[in-house]
Amino acid sequence: MASADPFDSALDLLRRLNPKHTTKHLQSLISLAPDLTEDLLSSVDQPLSVRRCKQTGRDYLLCDYNRDGDSYRSPWSNEFDPPLGSGGAGSEGGGGATPSEKVRRMEVKANEAFDVYRELYYEGGVSSVYFWNLDDGFAGVVLLKKGLTYDVPEAKPGSASEGSWDSIHVFEAIDRARMTQYNLTSTVILSLSTNSSGLGEMDLSGNMTRQIEQELPAESDEQQIANIGKLVEDMELKMRNLLQEVYFGKAKDVVGDLRSVGSLSEAGRDREAQRELIGSMRR
Amino acid sequence: MSALETISSFVEGAPPGELADVIADIKALTVADPGLVSQLGPAFEKYNEEQFSTVRLPGSTQPIIVSSHSSLGNGRYYDVESSTSFEYDHATQKASGAQSYVLEGAQADLTKSTLKSLSPYVKEHFPNAAYGVYPIENDSKVAIIVVANKYSPNNFWNGRWRSLYIFDPSSGALEGSLKVDVHYYEDGNVRLLTSKSVTTSISSGTGAGIVKEMGNAERKYQEELNRGFTSLSEGAFKALRRQLPVTRQKIEWDKVASYRVGQDIGGGSSRR
Repeated sequence: MASADPFDSALDLLRRLNPKHTTKHLQSLISLAPDLTEDLLSSVDQPLSVRRCKQTGRDYLLCDYNRDGDSYRSPWSNEFDPPLGSGGAGSEGGGGATPSEKVRRMEVKANEAFDVYRELYYEGGVSSVYFWNLDDGFAGVVLLKKGLTYDVPEAKPGSASEGSWDSIHVFEAIDRARMTQYNLTSTVILSLSTNSSGLGEMDLSGNMTRQIEQELPAESDEQQIANIGKLVEDMELKMRNLLQEVYFGKAKDVVGDLRSVGSLSEAGRDREAQRELIGSMRR
Repeated sequence: MSALETISSFVEGAPPGELADVIADIKALTVADPGLVSQLGPAFEKYNEEQFSTVRLPGSTQPIIVSSHSSLGNGRYYDVESSTSFEYDHATQKASGAQSYVLEGAQADLTKSTLKSLSPYVKEHFPNAAYGVYPIENDSKVAIIVVANKYSPNNFWNGRWRSLYIFDPSSGALEGSLKVDVHYYEDGNVRLLTSKSVTTSISSGTGAGIVKEMGNAERKYQEELNRGFTSLSEGAFKALRRQLPVTRQKIEWDKVASYRVGQDIGGGSSRR
Protein backbone atom coordinates (compact mmCIF):
# COMPACT_ATOMS: atom_id res chain seq x y z
CA MET A 1 0.00 0.00 0.00
CA ALA A 2 2.98 2.28 0.48
CA SER A 3 3.28 2.91 -3.24
CA ALA A 4 -0.26 3.23 -4.52
CA ASP A 5 -0.38 4.47 -8.10
CA PRO A 6 -1.06 8.24 -8.12
CA PHE A 7 -3.38 7.95 -11.15
CA ASP A 8 -5.50 5.27 -9.46
CA SER A 9 -5.54 7.37 -6.30
CA ALA A 10 -6.71 10.42 -8.25
CA LEU A 11 -9.54 8.38 -9.79
CA ASP A 12 -10.43 6.95 -6.38
CA LEU A 13 -10.59 10.47 -4.95
CA LEU A 14 -12.89 11.59 -7.78
CA ARG A 15 -15.15 8.64 -6.97
CA ARG A 16 -15.46 9.91 -3.38
CA LEU A 17 -15.60 13.70 -3.54
CA ASN A 18 -18.88 15.48 -4.33
CA PRO A 19 -19.67 14.52 -7.96
CA LYS A 20 -21.45 17.82 -8.49
CA HIS A 21 -18.04 19.51 -8.52
CA THR A 22 -16.01 16.99 -10.54
CA THR A 23 -14.66 19.70 -12.86
CA LYS A 24 -13.35 21.71 -9.90
CA HIS A 25 -11.80 18.63 -8.27
CA LEU A 26 -10.20 17.70 -11.56
CA GLN A 27 -8.55 21.13 -11.79
CA SER A 28 -7.32 20.75 -8.18
CA LEU A 29 -5.83 17.33 -8.94
CA ILE A 30 -4.10 18.63 -12.05
CA SER A 31 -2.54 21.48 -10.09
CA LEU A 32 -1.43 18.98 -7.43
CA ALA A 33 -0.08 16.39 -9.88
CA PRO A 34 0.56 18.03 -13.30
CA ASP A 35 2.06 14.74 -14.61
CA LEU A 36 -1.45 13.26 -14.58
CA THR A 37 -3.05 16.02 -16.68
CA GLU A 38 -3.42 14.13 -19.99
CA ASP A 39 -4.45 10.83 -18.38
CA LEU A 40 -7.05 12.50 -16.18
CA LEU A 41 -8.54 14.70 -18.91
CA SER A 42 -8.91 11.71 -21.23
CA SER A 43 -10.47 9.39 -18.66
CA VAL A 44 -12.68 11.57 -16.45
CA ASP A 45 -16.09 12.53 -17.81
CA GLN A 46 -17.25 16.05 -17.10
CA PRO A 47 -20.53 17.83 -17.90
CA LEU A 48 -20.48 18.84 -21.57
CA SER A 49 -20.25 22.41 -22.87
CA VAL A 50 -22.44 23.71 -25.68
CA ARG A 51 -21.25 25.89 -28.58
CA ARG A 52 -23.14 27.31 -31.56
CA CYS A 53 -21.84 26.34 -35.01
CA LYS A 54 -20.98 29.54 -36.89
CA GLN A 55 -21.68 27.95 -40.30
CA THR A 56 -25.05 26.33 -39.56
CA GLY A 57 -26.31 28.15 -36.45
CA ARG A 58 -26.91 24.79 -34.73
CA ASP A 59 -25.68 23.95 -31.24
CA TYR A 60 -23.10 21.21 -30.72
CA LEU A 61 -21.31 19.65 -27.78
CA LEU A 62 -17.64 19.93 -26.87
CA CYS A 63 -15.46 17.10 -25.61
CA ASP A 64 -11.91 15.84 -25.88
CA TYR A 65 -12.80 13.93 -29.08
CA ASN A 66 -13.68 16.95 -31.24
CA ARG A 67 -10.94 19.14 -29.81
CA ASP A 68 -7.76 20.11 -31.62
CA GLY A 69 -5.62 22.42 -29.52
CA ASP A 70 -8.04 25.16 -28.44
CA SER A 71 -10.44 24.58 -31.34
CA TYR A 72 -13.51 22.36 -31.55
CA ARG A 73 -15.00 20.74 -34.64
CA SER A 74 -18.72 21.18 -35.33
CA PRO A 75 -20.43 17.94 -36.41
CA TRP A 76 -22.85 19.96 -38.55
CA SER A 77 -20.26 21.82 -40.67
CA ASN A 78 -17.11 19.73 -40.08
CA GLU A 79 -15.32 23.07 -39.46
CA PHE A 80 -13.13 23.94 -36.47
CA ASP A 81 -13.88 26.96 -34.30
CA PRO A 82 -11.73 28.98 -34.01
CA PRO A 83 -10.39 27.92 -37.44
CA LEU A 84 -7.11 26.02 -37.31
CA GLY A 85 -4.04 27.76 -38.67
CA SER A 86 -2.09 26.00 -41.40
CA GLY A 87 -0.50 22.90 -39.90
CA GLY A 88 -2.33 23.39 -36.60
CA ALA A 89 -0.93 21.84 -33.46
CA GLY A 90 -1.48 18.13 -33.05
CA SER A 91 -3.37 17.79 -36.32
CA GLU A 92 -3.08 14.68 -38.43
CA GLY A 93 -3.71 15.83 -41.98
CA GLY A 94 -3.01 19.53 -41.76
CA GLY A 95 -6.77 20.27 -41.65
CA GLY A 96 -7.15 19.25 -38.03
CA ALA A 97 -8.18 15.86 -36.62
CA THR A 98 -11.05 15.03 -38.96
CA PRO A 99 -12.20 11.53 -39.95
CA SER A 100 -11.62 10.09 -43.43
CA GLU A 101 -14.25 10.85 -46.10
CA LYS A 102 -15.93 7.48 -45.68
CA VAL A 103 -16.10 7.76 -41.90
CA ARG A 104 -17.23 11.39 -42.13
CA ARG A 105 -20.14 10.29 -44.37
CA MET A 106 -21.18 7.85 -41.63
CA GLU A 107 -20.69 10.57 -39.02
CA VAL A 108 -23.12 12.85 -40.90
CA LYS A 109 -25.75 10.08 -40.99
CA ALA A 110 -25.16 9.25 -37.33
CA ASN A 111 -25.67 12.88 -36.35
CA GLU A 112 -28.97 12.92 -38.25
CA ALA A 113 -30.08 9.67 -36.63
CA PHE A 114 -29.17 10.76 -33.08
CA ASP A 115 -30.85 14.11 -33.65
CA VAL A 116 -34.07 12.12 -34.13
CA TYR A 117 -33.24 10.00 -31.08
CA ARG A 118 -32.64 13.16 -29.02
CA GLU A 119 -35.98 14.63 -30.00
CA LEU A 120 -37.90 11.41 -29.28
CA TYR A 121 -36.32 10.74 -25.85
CA TYR A 122 -35.25 14.18 -24.60
CA GLU A 123 -37.78 16.44 -26.36
CA GLY A 124 -35.12 19.13 -26.39
CA GLY A 125 -31.45 19.32 -25.49
CA VAL A 126 -28.44 19.01 -27.78
CA SER A 127 -26.80 15.98 -29.43
CA SER A 128 -23.49 15.51 -31.23
CA VAL A 129 -21.73 12.48 -32.67
CA TYR A 130 -18.02 12.37 -33.49
CA PHE A 131 -16.29 9.54 -35.35
CA TRP A 132 -12.62 8.85 -35.93
CA ASN A 133 -10.68 6.23 -37.86
CA LEU A 134 -9.03 3.18 -36.32
CA ASP A 135 -6.60 0.86 -38.09
CA ASP A 136 -9.10 -2.01 -37.93
CA GLY A 137 -12.40 -0.08 -38.00
CA PHE A 138 -13.60 3.14 -36.51
CA ALA A 139 -14.57 4.63 -33.18
CA GLY A 140 -16.85 7.37 -32.01
CA VAL A 141 -18.62 9.19 -29.23
CA VAL A 142 -22.34 9.91 -28.96
CA LEU A 143 -23.11 12.90 -26.74
CA LEU A 144 -26.47 14.04 -25.42
CA LYS A 145 -27.18 16.88 -23.04
CA LYS A 146 -30.27 18.43 -21.56
CA GLY A 147 -30.69 20.90 -18.74
CA LEU A 148 -33.78 22.41 -17.23
CA THR A 149 -35.21 24.56 -14.50
CA TYR A 150 -38.43 23.09 -13.38
CA ASP A 151 -41.14 24.50 -11.15
CA VAL A 152 -42.65 21.81 -8.97
CA PRO A 153 -46.23 21.38 -10.18
CA GLU A 154 -47.88 20.88 -6.80
CA ALA A 155 -45.67 23.77 -5.85
CA LYS A 156 -45.60 25.63 -2.70
CA PRO A 157 -44.53 29.18 -3.48
CA GLY A 158 -40.83 29.62 -3.95
CA SER A 159 -40.07 25.99 -4.61
CA ALA A 160 -38.07 25.10 -7.69
CA SER A 161 -36.16 22.17 -9.10
CA GLU A 162 -33.19 22.05 -11.42
CA GLY A 163 -31.79 19.21 -13.41
CA SER A 164 -29.19 18.34 -15.99
CA TRP A 165 -28.44 15.14 -17.87
CA ASP A 166 -25.23 14.45 -19.82
CA SER A 167 -24.75 11.17 -21.70
CA ILE A 168 -21.31 10.23 -23.00
CA HIS A 169 -21.16 7.01 -25.03
CA VAL A 170 -17.71 6.09 -26.33
CA PHE A 171 -17.49 3.10 -28.66
CA GLU A 172 -15.15 1.18 -30.92
CA ALA A 173 -16.44 -0.68 -33.97
CA ILE A 174 -13.77 -3.21 -34.89
CA ASP A 175 -13.87 -5.21 -38.14
CA ARG A 176 -14.01 -8.99 -37.68
CA ALA A 177 -14.66 -11.63 -40.31
CA ARG A 178 -18.34 -11.13 -41.30
CA MET A 179 -19.06 -9.32 -38.01
CA THR A 180 -18.25 -6.06 -36.25
CA GLN A 181 -17.19 -6.07 -32.63
CA TYR A 182 -18.64 -3.14 -30.65
CA ASN A 183 -17.14 -2.07 -27.33
CA LEU A 184 -19.28 0.58 -25.62
CA THR A 185 -18.51 2.54 -22.46
CA SER A 186 -21.33 4.78 -21.31
CA THR A 187 -21.40 7.43 -18.62
CA VAL A 188 -24.43 9.41 -17.53
CA ILE A 189 -23.93 12.50 -15.38
CA LEU A 190 -27.19 13.38 -13.69
CA SER A 191 -27.63 16.34 -11.39
CA LEU A 192 -30.91 17.16 -9.63
CA SER A 193 -31.71 19.72 -6.99
CA THR A 194 -34.77 21.17 -5.39
CA ASN A 195 -35.52 23.64 -2.65
CA SER A 196 -38.54 24.94 -0.81
CA SER A 197 -39.26 26.42 2.59
CA GLY A 198 -40.41 23.09 4.05
CA LEU A 199 -37.67 20.98 2.51
CA GLY A 200 -34.73 23.36 2.59
CA GLU A 201 -32.01 22.41 0.11
CA MET A 202 -31.84 18.97 -1.46
CA ASP A 203 -29.17 18.01 -3.99
CA LEU A 204 -28.93 14.63 -5.65
CA SER A 205 -26.01 14.51 -8.10
CA GLY A 206 -23.69 11.96 -9.57
CA ASN A 207 -22.47 9.86 -12.42
CA MET A 208 -22.55 6.19 -13.30
CA THR A 209 -20.58 4.23 -15.89
CA ARG A 210 -21.35 0.91 -17.56
CA GLN A 211 -19.68 -1.11 -20.33
CA ILE A 212 -20.80 -3.73 -22.82
CA GLU A 213 -19.26 -5.66 -25.71
CA GLN A 214 -21.23 -7.14 -28.55
CA GLU A 215 -20.64 -8.65 -31.99
CA LEU A 216 -23.16 -7.80 -34.69
CA PRO A 217 -23.28 -8.14 -38.47
CA ALA A 218 -22.76 -4.84 -40.27
CA GLU A 219 -22.70 -4.96 -44.04
CA SER A 220 -23.47 -1.33 -44.81
CA ASP A 221 -22.97 2.12 -43.28
CA GLU A 222 -26.69 2.20 -42.50
CA GLN A 223 -26.40 -1.04 -40.60
CA GLN A 224 -23.40 0.28 -38.66
CA ILE A 225 -25.42 3.28 -37.52
CA ALA A 226 -28.44 1.12 -36.73
CA ASN A 227 -26.24 -1.16 -34.58
CA ILE A 228 -24.71 1.77 -32.72
CA GLY A 229 -28.15 3.32 -32.31
CA LYS A 230 -29.60 0.16 -30.79
CA LEU A 231 -26.64 -0.33 -28.46
CA VAL A 232 -26.85 3.25 -27.20
CA GLU A 233 -30.64 3.14 -26.89
CA ASP A 234 -30.56 -0.11 -24.88
CA MET A 235 -27.73 1.15 -22.71
CA GLU A 236 -29.51 4.43 -21.93
CA LEU A 237 -32.70 2.60 -21.02
CA LYS A 238 -30.73 0.33 -18.71
CA MET A 239 -28.88 3.26 -17.16
CA ARG A 240 -31.99 5.37 -16.74
CA ASN A 241 -33.56 2.50 -14.77
CA LEU A 242 -30.38 2.10 -12.74
CA LEU A 243 -30.20 5.83 -11.97
CA GLN A 244 -33.83 5.78 -10.92
CA GLU A 245 -33.12 2.89 -8.58
CA VAL A 246 -30.03 4.49 -7.02
CA TYR A 247 -31.20 8.11 -6.84
CA PHE A 248 -34.75 7.55 -5.66
CA GLY A 249 -34.63 4.05 -4.19
CA LYS A 250 -31.22 3.43 -2.62
CA ALA A 251 -30.55 7.00 -1.43
CA LYS A 252 -34.00 7.20 0.14
CA ASP A 253 -33.56 3.80 1.81
CA VAL A 254 -30.26 4.92 3.37
CA VAL A 255 -32.00 7.99 4.85
CA GLY A 256 -34.57 5.58 6.30
CA ASP A 257 -31.75 3.45 7.72
CA LEU A 258 -30.23 6.51 9.41
CA ARG A 259 -33.49 7.70 10.96
CA SER A 260 -36.73 5.81 11.29
CA VAL A 261 -39.94 7.86 10.90
CA GLY A 262 -41.80 5.34 13.04
CA SER A 263 -40.83 4.11 16.48
CA LEU A 264 -38.05 1.53 16.46
CA SER A 265 -39.29 -0.31 19.52
CA GLU A 266 -42.76 -0.69 17.98
CA ALA A 267 -41.20 -1.89 14.73
CA GLY A 268 -39.15 -4.37 16.78
CA ARG A 269 -42.27 -5.63 18.60
CA ASP A 270 -44.11 -5.98 15.28
CA ARG A 271 -41.24 -8.00 13.84
CA GLU A 272 -41.18 -10.18 16.94
CA ALA A 273 -44.95 -10.74 16.74
CA GLN A 274 -44.67 -11.62 13.08
CA ARG A 275 -41.87 -14.07 13.78
CA GLU A 276 -43.97 -15.76 16.45
CA LEU A 277 -46.94 -15.90 14.11
CA ILE A 278 -44.89 -17.49 11.35
CA GLY A 279 -43.36 -19.86 13.90
CA SER A 280 -46.77 -20.95 15.17
CA MET A 281 -48.03 -21.52 11.61
CA ARG A 282 -45.10 -23.79 10.89
CA ARG A 283 -45.72 -25.93 13.87
CA MET B 1 -4.96 27.59 -4.29
CA SER B 2 -1.86 26.24 -2.57
CA ALA B 3 -1.22 22.50 -2.45
CA LEU B 4 -2.09 22.50 1.27
CA GLU B 5 -5.37 24.33 0.62
CA THR B 6 -6.17 21.82 -2.12
CA ILE B 7 -5.61 18.72 0.02
CA SER B 8 -7.40 20.41 2.95
CA SER B 9 -10.45 20.88 0.72
CA PHE B 10 -10.30 17.16 -0.14
CA VAL B 11 -10.36 16.33 3.59
CA GLU B 12 -13.30 18.68 4.10
CA GLY B 13 -15.18 16.97 1.25
CA ALA B 14 -14.63 13.39 2.48
CA PRO B 15 -17.94 11.47 2.46
CA PRO B 16 -19.26 9.85 5.67
CA GLY B 17 -16.98 7.05 6.85
CA GLU B 18 -14.45 7.58 4.03
CA LEU B 19 -11.93 9.96 5.62
CA ALA B 20 -9.25 7.24 5.83
CA ASP B 21 -9.68 6.44 2.11
CA VAL B 22 -9.40 10.10 1.19
CA ILE B 23 -6.26 10.48 3.30
CA ALA B 24 -4.70 7.40 1.64
CA ASP B 25 -5.38 8.95 -1.78
CA ILE B 26 -3.90 12.28 -0.70
CA LYS B 27 -0.76 10.50 0.56
CA ALA B 28 -0.31 8.70 -2.77
CA LEU B 29 -0.70 11.98 -4.65
CA THR B 30 1.80 13.85 -2.48
CA VAL B 31 4.60 11.26 -2.12
CA ALA B 32 7.01 13.82 -3.57
CA ASP B 33 6.23 16.18 -0.69
CA PRO B 34 5.54 14.05 2.41
CA GLY B 35 5.68 17.13 4.63
CA LEU B 36 2.32 18.29 3.21
CA VAL B 37 0.19 15.63 4.88
CA SER B 38 1.71 16.41 8.26
CA GLN B 39 0.28 19.94 7.95
CA LEU B 40 -3.31 18.68 7.68
CA GLY B 41 -3.95 18.99 11.44
CA PRO B 42 -6.28 22.02 11.15
CA ALA B 43 -8.20 20.35 8.29
CA PHE B 44 -8.72 17.18 10.37
CA GLU B 45 -9.87 19.26 13.34
CA LYS B 46 -12.36 21.14 11.16
CA TYR B 47 -13.63 17.89 9.62
CA ASN B 48 -14.09 16.15 12.98
CA GLU B 49 -15.81 19.12 14.65
CA GLU B 50 -18.12 19.87 11.69
CA GLN B 51 -19.01 16.24 10.99
CA PHE B 52 -19.56 15.46 14.70
CA SER B 53 -17.07 12.60 14.58
CA THR B 54 -17.68 10.02 17.28
CA VAL B 55 -15.15 8.29 19.46
CA ARG B 56 -15.28 5.52 22.03
CA LEU B 57 -13.38 6.12 25.23
CA PRO B 58 -11.11 3.26 26.34
CA GLY B 59 -13.26 0.76 28.24
CA SER B 60 -16.56 2.26 27.10
CA THR B 61 -19.02 1.23 24.39
CA GLN B 62 -20.94 4.50 24.22
CA PRO B 63 -19.93 6.71 21.24
CA ILE B 64 -19.10 10.30 22.21
CA ILE B 65 -19.34 13.32 19.91
CA VAL B 66 -16.45 15.60 19.02
CA SER B 67 -17.65 19.12 18.21
CA SER B 68 -16.71 22.74 18.74
CA HIS B 69 -19.54 22.85 21.32
CA SER B 70 -17.91 20.20 23.49
CA SER B 71 -14.37 21.51 23.11
CA LEU B 72 -12.36 22.51 26.17
CA GLY B 73 -9.47 23.76 24.06
CA ASN B 74 -6.01 22.23 23.61
CA GLY B 75 -7.45 19.17 21.89
CA ARG B 76 -9.61 18.19 24.89
CA TYR B 77 -13.35 17.54 24.69
CA TYR B 78 -15.96 16.53 27.25
CA ASP B 79 -19.11 14.49 27.55
CA VAL B 80 -21.85 15.27 30.03
CA GLU B 81 -23.55 11.90 30.25
CA SER B 82 -20.38 10.05 31.24
CA SER B 83 -18.93 13.08 33.15
CA THR B 84 -15.66 12.63 31.30
CA SER B 85 -13.17 14.79 29.49
CA PHE B 86 -10.57 13.36 27.11
CA GLU B 87 -7.82 14.20 24.71
CA TYR B 88 -8.67 13.68 21.04
CA ASP B 89 -6.17 13.03 18.26
CA HIS B 90 -7.76 14.57 15.14
CA ALA B 91 -5.47 12.70 12.76
CA THR B 92 -6.02 9.19 14.16
CA GLN B 93 -9.54 9.90 15.54
CA LYS B 94 -8.58 8.24 18.86
CA ALA B 95 -9.27 9.38 22.43
CA SER B 96 -6.91 9.16 25.38
CA GLY B 97 -6.25 10.69 28.78
CA ALA B 98 -9.82 10.37 30.09
CA GLN B 99 -10.53 12.31 33.27
CA SER B 100 -13.57 12.98 35.40
CA TYR B 101 -15.42 16.10 34.32
CA VAL B 102 -18.23 17.48 36.45
CA LEU B 103 -20.61 19.91 34.77
CA GLU B 104 -21.46 22.98 36.80
CA GLY B 105 -23.02 26.36 36.10
CA ALA B 106 -26.35 28.00 35.28
CA GLN B 107 -27.35 25.57 32.50
CA ALA B 108 -26.21 22.35 34.20
CA ASP B 109 -29.74 21.31 35.24
CA LEU B 110 -31.29 22.10 31.84
CA THR B 111 -28.44 20.28 30.12
CA LYS B 112 -28.96 17.15 32.21
CA SER B 113 -32.76 17.17 31.92
CA THR B 114 -32.48 17.59 28.12
CA LEU B 115 -30.08 14.64 27.99
CA LYS B 116 -32.52 12.55 30.00
CA SER B 117 -35.32 13.18 27.47
CA LEU B 118 -33.01 12.95 24.49
CA SER B 119 -31.75 9.45 25.23
CA PRO B 120 -35.09 7.61 24.75
CA TYR B 121 -36.00 9.79 21.73
CA VAL B 122 -32.74 8.95 19.97
CA LYS B 123 -33.16 5.24 20.74
CA GLU B 124 -36.68 5.30 19.28
CA HIS B 125 -35.69 6.84 15.94
CA PHE B 126 -31.98 6.33 15.27
CA PRO B 127 -30.69 2.73 15.11
CA ASN B 128 -27.08 3.90 15.39
CA ALA B 129 -26.56 7.37 16.79
CA ALA B 130 -24.58 9.43 19.28
CA TYR B 131 -25.95 12.49 21.05
CA GLY B 132 -24.83 15.20 23.41
CA VAL B 133 -26.00 18.37 25.18
CA TYR B 134 -23.59 21.14 26.13
CA PRO B 135 -23.87 24.62 27.71
CA ILE B 136 -22.34 27.16 25.31
CA GLU B 137 -21.63 30.88 24.91
CA ASN B 138 -20.62 31.55 28.52
CA ASP B 139 -23.35 29.36 29.91
CA SER B 140 -26.08 31.44 28.21
CA LYS B 141 -27.36 28.81 25.75
CA VAL B 142 -27.48 25.06 25.27
CA ALA B 143 -26.34 23.11 22.19
CA ILE B 144 -27.97 19.77 21.36
CA ILE B 145 -26.36 17.42 18.84
CA VAL B 146 -27.47 14.13 17.31
CA VAL B 147 -25.35 12.31 14.74
CA ALA B 148 -26.33 9.02 13.10
CA ASN B 149 -23.98 7.06 10.83
CA LYS B 150 -24.50 3.99 8.76
CA TYR B 151 -21.52 2.67 6.84
CA SER B 152 -21.76 -0.16 4.35
CA PRO B 153 -18.54 0.02 2.33
CA ASN B 154 -18.94 -3.58 1.15
CA ASN B 155 -22.09 -2.45 -0.60
CA PHE B 156 -20.48 0.83 -1.69
CA TRP B 157 -22.65 3.20 0.32
CA ASN B 158 -22.36 5.28 3.49
CA GLY B 159 -24.64 7.79 5.16
CA ARG B 160 -24.81 10.40 7.91
CA TRP B 161 -27.59 12.38 9.57
CA ARG B 162 -26.65 15.43 11.64
CA SER B 163 -28.93 17.50 13.88
CA LEU B 164 -27.67 20.59 15.70
CA TYR B 165 -29.94 22.78 17.82
CA ILE B 166 -29.15 25.87 19.85
CA PHE B 167 -31.63 26.65 22.63
CA ASP B 168 -31.73 30.13 24.16
CA PRO B 169 -33.37 29.88 27.61
CA SER B 170 -33.81 33.67 27.87
CA SER B 171 -36.05 33.87 24.78
CA GLY B 172 -37.22 30.26 24.48
CA ALA B 173 -35.99 30.17 20.86
CA LEU B 174 -34.83 26.86 19.41
CA GLU B 175 -32.82 27.10 16.20
CA GLY B 176 -31.65 24.01 14.42
CA SER B 177 -30.03 22.69 11.32
CA LEU B 178 -30.66 19.22 9.90
CA LYS B 179 -28.27 17.70 7.39
CA VAL B 180 -28.20 14.43 5.49
CA ASP B 181 -25.23 13.14 3.50
CA VAL B 182 -25.46 9.87 1.57
CA HIS B 183 -22.78 8.51 -0.74
CA TYR B 184 -23.24 5.64 -3.22
CA TYR B 185 -20.20 4.66 -5.25
CA GLU B 186 -20.58 1.34 -7.07
CA ASP B 187 -19.36 1.94 -10.67
CA GLY B 188 -20.06 5.60 -10.15
CA ASN B 189 -20.35 8.36 -7.61
CA VAL B 190 -23.75 9.53 -6.42
CA ARG B 191 -24.23 11.92 -3.53
CA LEU B 192 -27.28 13.14 -1.67
CA LEU B 193 -26.67 16.34 0.29
CA THR B 194 -29.47 18.09 2.12
CA SER B 195 -29.71 20.96 4.53
CA LYS B 196 -32.69 22.38 6.37
CA SER B 197 -32.89 25.06 9.03
CA VAL B 198 -35.48 24.93 11.80
CA THR B 199 -36.72 27.86 13.88
CA THR B 200 -39.22 27.33 16.64
CA SER B 201 -39.80 28.24 20.26
CA ILE B 202 -40.22 26.24 23.45
CA SER B 203 -42.77 27.84 25.76
CA SER B 204 -42.08 25.44 28.64
CA GLY B 205 -38.33 25.96 28.46
CA THR B 206 -37.82 22.40 29.74
CA GLY B 207 -35.63 19.61 28.42
CA ALA B 208 -38.69 17.49 27.70
CA GLY B 209 -40.21 20.41 25.75
CA ILE B 210 -37.05 20.83 23.68
CA VAL B 211 -36.84 17.15 22.76
CA LYS B 212 -40.56 17.00 21.90
CA GLU B 213 -40.12 19.93 19.49
CA MET B 214 -36.99 18.31 18.00
CA GLY B 215 -39.00 15.15 17.36
CA ASN B 216 -41.76 17.13 15.61
CA ALA B 217 -39.28 19.04 13.44
CA GLU B 218 -37.36 15.91 12.46
CA ARG B 219 -40.46 13.86 11.66
CA LYS B 220 -41.83 16.69 9.52
CA TYR B 221 -38.46 17.08 7.81
CA GLN B 222 -38.10 13.41 7.01
CA GLU B 223 -41.60 13.38 5.51
CA GLU B 224 -40.69 16.44 3.40
CA LEU B 225 -37.50 14.72 2.30
CA ASN B 226 -39.41 11.61 1.22
CA ARG B 227 -41.75 13.87 -0.77
CA GLY B 228 -38.66 15.56 -2.23
CA PHE B 229 -37.47 12.22 -3.64
CA THR B 230 -40.88 11.67 -5.24
CA SER B 231 -41.06 15.17 -6.63
CA LEU B 232 -37.57 14.96 -8.20
CA SER B 233 -38.34 11.51 -9.62
CA GLU B 234 -41.74 12.48 -11.04
CA GLY B 235 -40.67 16.00 -12.02
CA ALA B 236 -37.15 16.89 -13.08
CA PHE B 237 -36.00 13.32 -13.76
CA LYS B 238 -38.93 12.51 -16.07
CA ALA B 239 -38.68 15.89 -17.78
CA LEU B 240 -35.00 15.35 -18.60
CA ARG B 241 -35.32 12.06 -20.43
CA ARG B 242 -38.34 9.92 -21.27
CA GLN B 243 -38.20 6.22 -20.55
CA LEU B 244 -39.60 5.57 -24.03
CA PRO B 245 -40.69 7.87 -26.87
CA VAL B 246 -44.32 9.07 -26.94
CA THR B 247 -45.12 6.12 -29.20
CA ARG B 248 -44.04 3.83 -26.30
CA GLN B 249 -41.87 1.94 -28.73
CA LYS B 250 -38.15 1.79 -29.23
CA ILE B 251 -36.73 3.37 -32.35
CA GLU B 252 -36.70 1.37 -35.57
CA TRP B 253 -33.13 2.20 -36.47
CA ASP B 254 -33.22 0.79 -39.98
CA LYS B 255 -36.01 3.28 -40.72
CA VAL B 256 -34.56 6.19 -38.77
CA ALA B 257 -33.88 8.24 -41.91
CA SER B 258 -37.61 8.33 -42.63
CA TYR B 259 -38.34 9.63 -39.10
CA ARG B 260 -37.02 13.02 -40.16
CA VAL B 261 -40.06 13.68 -42.31
CA GLY B 262 -42.43 12.99 -39.46
CA GLN B 263 -40.30 14.71 -36.90
CA ASP B 264 -42.85 17.49 -36.43
CA ILE B 265 -44.80 14.97 -34.34
CA GLY B 266 -42.08 15.27 -31.76
CA GLY B 267 -42.43 19.07 -31.65
CA GLY B 268 -39.58 20.32 -33.84
CA SER B 269 -35.87 20.12 -33.35
CA SER B 270 -34.99 23.58 -32.10
CA ARG B 271 -37.02 23.38 -28.89
CA ARG B 272 -34.88 23.18 -25.80
